Amino acid sequence: MFNRIFIYTGKKALSIKGGVVDFFQYCKAIIFSLRSLRYLSFRAIYNIIINQTRFTGVDALGIVMVIALLLGGTVIIQALSSLPKFGVEGFLGNILVIIIARELGPLATALIVISRSGSAIATEISVQKWSREILSMELMGIDTKLFIIFPRIIASILAICSLIIIFDIVAFIGGYIISQTVVYIPTDVFAQIIIDSFKFKDIIAAIIKSIIFGIIIPLICCYYGLKPNSKFEIPIYVSKAVTRTLFVSIIVNIMVSVLFYL
Amino acid sequence: MEEYIIDIRNLTYIVNDVTMLDKITFRLRQGDNLTVFGPEGSGITNLFDIIVKAEAGFDGEAYYKGESIKKLDYFGQLLYKKDIGYVHGDYGLLSNMTVEQNISLPLEYHSKLTATEIKKQTEKVIDEVNLDHCKKFRPIDLTRSEILKTAFARAIVMDPDLLYIEHAFEDQCPLNIKTMMDILIERSKVPDKSLIIITYYPQHFIDVSEYFIMFFNGRIVFDGSNEEFVKTDNPYVLQYLKNSIEGPMVIL
Repeated sequence: MFNRIFIYTGKKALSIKGGVVDFFQYCKAIIFSLRSLRYLSFRAIYNIIINQTRFTGVDALGIVMVIALLLGGTVIIQALSSLPKFGVEGFLGNILVIIIARELGPLATALIVISRSGSAIATEISVQKWSREILSMELMGIDTKLFIIFPRIIASILAICSLIIIFDIVAFIGGYIISQTVVYIPTDVFAQIIIDSFKFKDIIAAIIKSIIFGIIIPLICCYYGLKPNSKFEIPIYVSKAVTRTLFVSIIVNIMVSVLFYL
Repeated sequence: MEEYIIDIRNLTYIVNDVTMLDKITFRLRQGDNLTVFGPEGSGITNLFDIIVKAEAGFDGEAYYKGESIKKLDYFGQLLYKKDIGYVHGDYGLLSNMTVEQNISLPLEYHSKLTATEIKKQTEKVIDEVNLDHCKKFRPIDLTRSEILKTAFARAIVMDPDLLYIEHAFEDQCPLNIKTMMDILIERSKVPDKSLIIITYYPQHFIDVSEYFIMFFNGRIVFDGSNEEFVKTDNPYVLQYLKNSIEGPMVIL
């Protein structure tokens, strides 16, 4: 029995190692292909950037705002039910900034983008590969790594950065509205508390997280999108794209937080 | 010295221990047109790996306009592929782009033309292939012949010196693609522009190609002009054209 466990664990470890090495080869190929930027005219990728930014950012605005409002309200409800017991209700602003601006905002935004855009990107690339559209592009002399992945990275960075800012603002608004049901805080006082709680490194951390999420989400989803060899493998790899991007995003979130706040 | 657009010398190409092309040699002068045919497994589809995909894993030599295809580096390959127009049987149109966008894609990516010039060039090609009525449609809304015309237009929009057509005219209604065949015949008469047609139906391209090559089991079994092709008594060609299982080719 122990033999079987060792064999299984060993196989799994080798498979993970193989996957990681393959992913790094893929990243290396993309970095290498950046050299063909000089042959690329911006107008060729302009439409892709605009469409992807619209899909990832603008079209997700509604759902991001609703979730931000609800999450902001949830945080406040928990804070208001617990803080007064310790006599620290004055730290409401700090709690909101710590939980929402530092952690929940970037992570929740990334999760929404992964589930919407990540799965869409992986599916789109898979279908393009299966229908030989990617081969057609390669045979036209188009560097597909540059043409497909690079504009999506730019669009995702722009979209995620904007969505995080909007998420934080709406969450604060949601939190404020809920807090009014329990304790009256004038709007300008609440706003001042939030502004005073914000530090420069919070802004830098949020920007760094949005840039990293903007890179890894399309990168990993395109990687899995290019994997399927038949249409039956498409759902498997789309599912892997979403779950693994989620996992990596959480790890990245923790790492950036450790870097800035510990 | 004669200018050869494609010069294949003693080329052997092995994939997964199977010899796909076995010491093949042929040349195509710039401005001439060639039809390559043969049964499945004869190696005609593997020519694509060498001439269009610029795979380096073969023995022998392959030259495009005097430059070795084998020695092309990563960027050399991209620039080389830009110079060749390619149409294949799956067509490979980008499903999230309209006909107009599909056709102008190579110009948008490669050329230094302005937006107005690209639009003008795209409109010109769209008119040539009679796609004006559906230029704003996406591939899902097109008929099969319109898809072929779009793929063809995309392949010629950069005015390449070599157009490589692989099984693109098969599985099409002959009436609907009559205009396409006429366009192909016109293009075949353009000096300095060459065609290589890979097909299972060489008899359809007698008016297009000056030269015909037949492959079987990775080897060239017939190589001649279109007149020689029509009048030949080569047993391989006769068996192929008669669609017969009797002859030198053993078809399973």
